Amino acid sequence: MTRVWGEDAAALVAAGADAAALAALEDGLLDGFALPAGPRWDAHTHLGRDADGHALDTAGLVADMDRWGVAGAVAFPANEPGDDGSFTVANDAVLAAAAAHPGRIVPVCRADPRAGWAAAVDRAAAGGARGLKLHPVAQGFAPESPECVACVAAATALGWPVLFHAGFGARRLAGPFRDLAAAVPGARLILAHGARGDARAVREAFAGHPGVWFDTSLAALPDLVELPPGRLVWGSDRPYGEHGTALQLVALAARVAGWSPSEVAGVLGGNLLALLGEPA
Amino acid sequence: MTRSEAVRLVAALGAVEMALVRRDPVAGPLLAQAARAAAGLPPGPYVSAAAALARAVELHGPGPGAAAARKAAQALCRAAAQAAQGAALA
Repeated sequence: MTRVWGEDAAALVAAGADAAALAALEDGLLDGFALPAGPRWDAHTHLGRDADGHALDTAGLVADMDRWGVAGAVAFPANEPGDDGSFTVANDAVLAAAAAHPGRIVPVCRADPRAGWAAAVDRAAAGGARGLKLHPVAQGFAPESPECVACVAAATALGWPVLFHAGFGARRLAGPFRDLAAAVPGARLILAHGARGDARAVREAFAGHPGVWFDTSLAALPDLVELPPGRLVWGSDRPYGEHGTALQLVALAARVAGWSPSEVAGVLGGNLLALLGEPA
Repeated sequence: MTRSEAVRLVAALGAVEMALVRRDPVAGPLLAQAARAAAGLPPGPYVSAAAALARAVELHGPGPGAAAARKAAQALCRAAAQAAQGAALA
């Protein structure tokens, strides 16, 4: 399948769109930018089919990575918790994808702190998972709740980073994540989307905090340029976002904030590899 | 691009994004308006292409074609908004 702006070109053509013109525009997205040559690692991708219809399979993710020069990606399930809410089937699918693409897909499991998370985490850990993704909005829990604290503590005990959705949502984020970080010393938290759901307060709450990183997926440029590049990990949020504008965002942030080439290389891969304990 | 041109475009694209996410039929007219705001500016081709998609495809409609067009339009608008924000912050 050929993709244009993250979507199936054939579907666009069938709908009446000029896919060739769209592809030409996309090909020029990074013109005028000089991104460093270091490895690109995507901290935020979903595999499977979300309840809202977004879908990405393993072959599609790998094809996207190849097209955009992405060496590796952290992948976790879409929002498909299954009938029991445990994400077991979806986590198994991500583990299988990683097993089929060793060194390119790093499996991260997903859980619901209110529904069978302990068994799900144990099963995923036994299968080779390397981290945990939690979505307080989709699963309807509070980051500072006792069940979430227990879930994050278990992941931390396994040596896992925990990536939280921190984008769209009604609740404040700074206080809850501050409480969570205090409750689980040593936790390594990655707040997705540059914590755009409460960016100013989160930035003030976690300035210099050693246990908090931010992913750039679908983040807002004004938020990213006010965060230290050493705490940023690049992400696409495939299939909700796509790699082209995800790279454009980092390129623009680097230009606006004046990041050095080594800082940009860290954002695009080095910082995540260090978090995962992978060689750079 | 002047700062006021960039801010105007970012505001217009913010309304477009919400309409696209909500599958609101107003996305097409909002895209046309945003395309006028972007005309002649560096992000203009992205918004123009998104507006063309809205003319070719019923973005709020059902089916895989409409879904792909809706998402592609979102990505095009994201590219334009990011470029405009970059200009405003420079």
